[in-house]
Amino acid sequence: MDAIVARYSRTAGVEHDDLRGEEQYDCSAPSSLPLLSLPPISQPAAFLRAHTDDASNPDCKIKIAHGTTTLAFRFQGGIVVAVDSRATAGSWIASQTVKKVIEINPFLLGTMAGGAADCQFWETWLGIQCRLHELREKSRISVAAASKILSNLVYSYKGMGLSMGTMICGYTKLEGPAIYYVDSDGTRLKGDLFCVGSGQTFAYGVLDSAYKWDLSVEEALALGKRSILAATHRDAFSGGSVNLYHVKESGWTYYGNHNVGELFWKTKAEEQSFENVPTDFTVDA
Amino acid sequence: MSDPSSINGGSVVAMVGKDCVAIGCDMRLGMQALTVSNDFPKIFQFNNAFLGLTGLATDVITLSEVFRYKVNLYNLREERKIEPETFANLVSSSLYEKRFGPYFVGPVVAGINSKSGHPYICGFDLIGCINFAKDFVVGGTSSEQLFGMCESLWEPDLEPDDLFETISQALLNAQDRDAMSGWGAIVYIITKDKVVKRLLKTRQD
Amino acid sequence: MYSEPYIDPASAHAAAAPIEHRFNPYSDNGGTILAIAGSDFAVLAGDTRHTTGYSINSRFQPKVHTLPCDPPILVSANGYSADGDTLVRRLGQRVQWYSYNHNKAISVAACARLIQTMLYGKRFFPYYVHTIVAGLDEEGRGAVYSFDPVGSYEREQCRAGGAAASLIMPFLDNQVNLKNQYDVQTGEPKTAVYLSLDDTIKLVKDAFSSATERHIHVGDHLEIKIITKEGVKVEYFPLKRD
Repeated sequence: MDAIVARYSRTAGVEHDDLRGEEQYDCSAPSSLPLLSLPPISQPAAFLRAHTDDASNPDCKIKIAHGTTTLAFRFQGGIVVAVDSRATAGSWIASQTVKKVIEINPFLLGTMAGGAADCQFWETWLGIQCRLHELREKSRISVAAASKILSNLVYSYKGMGLSMGTMICGYTKLEGPAIYYVDSDGTRLKGDLFCVGSGQTFAYGVLDSAYKWDLSVEEALALGKRSILAATHRDAFSGGSVNLYHVKESGWTYYGNHNVGELFWKTKAEEQSFENVPTDFTVDA
Repeated sequence: MSDPSSINGGSVVAMVGKDCVAIGCDMRLGMQALTVSNDFPKIFQFNNAFLGLTGLATDVITLSEVFRYKVNLYNLREERKIEPETFANLVSSSLYEKRFGPYFVGPVVAGINSKSGHPYICGFDLIGCINFAKDFVVGGTSSEQLFGMCESLWEPDLEPDDLFETISQALLNAQDRDAMSGWGAIVYIITKDKVVKRLLKTRQD
Repeated sequence: MYSEPYIDPASAHAAAAPIEHRFNPYSDNGGTILAIAGSDFAVLAGDTRHTTGYSINSRFQPKVHTLPCDPPILVSANGYSADGDTLVRRLGQRVQWYSYNHNKAISVAACARLIQTMLYGKRFFPYYVHTIVAGLDEEGRGAVYSFDPVGSYEREQCRAGGAAASLIMPFLDNQVNLKNQYDVQTGEPKTAVYLSLDDTIKLVKDAFSSATERHIHVGDHLEIKIITKEGVKVEYFPLKRD
């Protein structure tokens, strides 16, 4: 019993005081938490903020990729997850091809908003924890439990400067389709519909106006895609392409990568929308 | 991000070709991350001179009107059209008048001198220092990207059609790597007796 | 009111406000790197100028490294060179240990994941570097992976990193991924095809010549490492030294 308590009551990297600057690795002793080294000063969080937070210090040297629109919603046919694919550092577009849906395992998806590395690293780590749970318990982990592993983890790093806003989406026999919103403040919310990121308001605007529980799978996928498209148009920090997923009882299926460059003009022509964008490209001599 | 010259976003570029010049701009007007308008051209024509203005949108509008007023007075007094060289000096002196409380702009001038037929382009800093260039000038939030594109695509003595393709590719690919620019583009190809204006079909994200 | 002694504002200020010295372990050593993946090759190129501020410390300080494994993997960590060199050295050790432990050479994909864990291991005291890895994947195709300073990564066709990344990257979008180019006949957007090795090297040289022209931290020499199934070849190309 004490061994179990010791294992699960151990808090995160903050308390590893033997890591002064030196990177540590040890192949022989796998632990449930990776070791993260700290700068050899009294206030590591303030140090990190000064060097990496471009909101509080625009001249900071290390730019960490930010900016996103992601959404996920529950409906009659399961869950639709849709995300954009742009990564920005300041106003520089670092990438238009980021994978913001992290495939934790064939039944669980995690979305990525905020720090790209934080989401990528901890959600793959979450994948490991979910697999370990399966091996120990001989059954798949619930979405509730998986999301709680992540929220407990980020909570143990609270105040250290982690930046993530994520939705853990999955389907289990026990819960049905379930979405949990987890962010780096430690918030963990169960819900039917979430949009996360700098373009969230634009996505909510479209999603709320047409969302119904009884949507068909096809309609739901189209609505998810259309909501992200609206956000990429108005939010400078969202764009690139739309990645679409559908989660149902048999796990998730991928519904393709849709480049906004073409998707926008196709959508505009089909539904006579985006009236603000001109279509007359004739030469004016 | 509270830097006045990058609140609204936007970019311009001008290039010299064989007996022709080209000037192009994006169409975005934003407030930080929010794109407010995609119908905000940044190029203004004053007789034989074309002025591209990037930077703080309020100053872009104000300055374009100041120059309209000044060029109209010039026309009345001199009874002739203003040439690009003359207009460039007008821009420079007008900006320096506000040396200690400047307009937050990055102007670019392009045109063909109607007397000599020589192509002329130049750029400025926000207090009016003229940058005379034989090849190309850039301005705005994607100036680094534009420098990279122009430096690798531009070559001397391009004919109008090739110059159009070159400046368009430079502008489009540069603004596609800048979050604050894009949402449409306009390119002017200027020869001695013809001006062609084209609206380009671009990404809308 | 008039009897108050005059105090020099400058000395008063100096006495009142203690001078704050903040721990700043970082500097920027300039330079730029560039990687392109082909059908059966990959190139990783970098200039050899090493700077701090406006000073040139060295005109020949190569920063594209070949990891000690077979088949080899190319890696460069551009930014703060002390961090970059340390990362590459530690990565070399880890890659060798991998071959001892598993009795096989590390794949590029595994190497990329290893780099993520190493970079993220210093999440709260980051390596100030933009890292790019190039090699051949398990099918023999060219592979390029790029990383942000704290380890988020992605496999790509091409990537520029470092001081002049913003100058080179849009050029690569246009010339490698054919962005904003349309087929004259159909009007459809062109789709990217693999470049030949010769065209790739021409493109790399053009990109660096242009970047050298407009960026003060780039220049002197270009070192291009080319990885094929035959191994690693190195080519040098002079850049402007002004």
